[in-house]
Amino acid sequence: MSDENVADHERIDFSKISFLVVEPNKLMGQMVRDVLMMLDAQYIDRARNFETAVGILRLGRIDVVITEWALSDDHTGHTGMDIVHWIRNDPASPNRMMPIVMMTANSEEEYVCRARDCGVSEFVAKPYTVNGFYTRLAAAIARPRQFVRVGEYFGPDRRRRRLPDYEGPERRAPTEAWSLTG
Amino acid sequence: MARKEKPVFTPPPQELRRKAVNFKKGFGLKLMPDEQRRLEEVVEKATDAFTKDVAERLRRLRAALDDVASGNDRADLAMRAIRSLSLDIKGMGGMFKYPLLTAFAKSLNDFTKDMGLPGPRQLDIIAAQIDALYVVMARRITGDGGPTERELLAALKQATARYKRS
Repeated sequence: MSDENVADHERIDFSKISFLVVEPNKLMGQMVRDVLMMLDAQYIDRARNFETAVGILRLGRIDVVITEWALSDDHTGHTGMDIVHWIRNDPASPNRMMPIVMMTANSEEEYVCRARDCGVSEFVAKPYTVNGFYTRLAAAIARPRQFVRVGEYFGPDRRRRRLPDYEGPERRAPTEAWSLTG
Repeated sequence: MARKEKPVFTPPPQELRRKAVNFKKGFGLKLMPDEQRRLEEVVEKATDAFTKDVAERLRRLRAALDDVASGNDRADLAMRAIRSLSLDIKGMGGMFKYPLLTAFAKSLNDFTKDMGLPGPRQLDIIAAQIDALYVVMARRITGDGGPTERELLAALKQATARYKRS
């Protein structure tokens, strides 16, 4: 069977995966939870701010994080980016290569680039379609990318395309230091 | 010339794949039409909750605008609330077939994003954008609306471009 055929037959058993949904908007958080439950997810934890999210992550049970960027309920000024940074870089992080899906209405290119450079696995712009959300979630779970450490960056390889015939210079450059205030 | 740091690569983590990806149970990497329909029903079922949620956010937007207009000591916080509420509405509208709501909320969010306390003209524009959000919900304008709504959106875009930095 070719790789393509294998991919066509692969399935994701969501009942085996533990999720953390970080979303201060109650309705949107509930929606993600309902969609995950429809996919047969059995363990879904929820948080509305950085502190609660990190508290849950420290327990080491979470496999996949789905986080909003803007944590309006977080009076410490933390954002979803701080959660990404904590997972990818903090010595206390239980799994620095955990899939992270960022969902946000901050959908402009500038934000997509900042999220990518912080180490998110997939980015979902709100408002989203369930199909768009599912495609990115499935990719984060079933198609993990290699990780790379370069300069201050640690996260999924940001180069998504492979160009086998490319003979030009290596364009990868150390990233700028990421600041906690984003 | 500064020496480039060599990247260190780690192979893709496979633990989660081993745990959850198989050939028998679960959902394929692409959703089948009936699976997609079932997921879309989840969103549709939340439409009533969405309209109630937006109504409450619009009420809070108006209250925040009153605080900003009165120049009281809550004005800074109220501007933050306007930015946050408009971002929330921007992210929700299109999911529930209200893309025009998303467009007006984006306009409001873009306008107030880097703004300090607004002057009288800017307050008028913020008020007009909040009014537009109300109209979309009151008339239940799903889709992109008609020519009137598109003209209003274009007029607001012009006004926001003109007064954003004044």
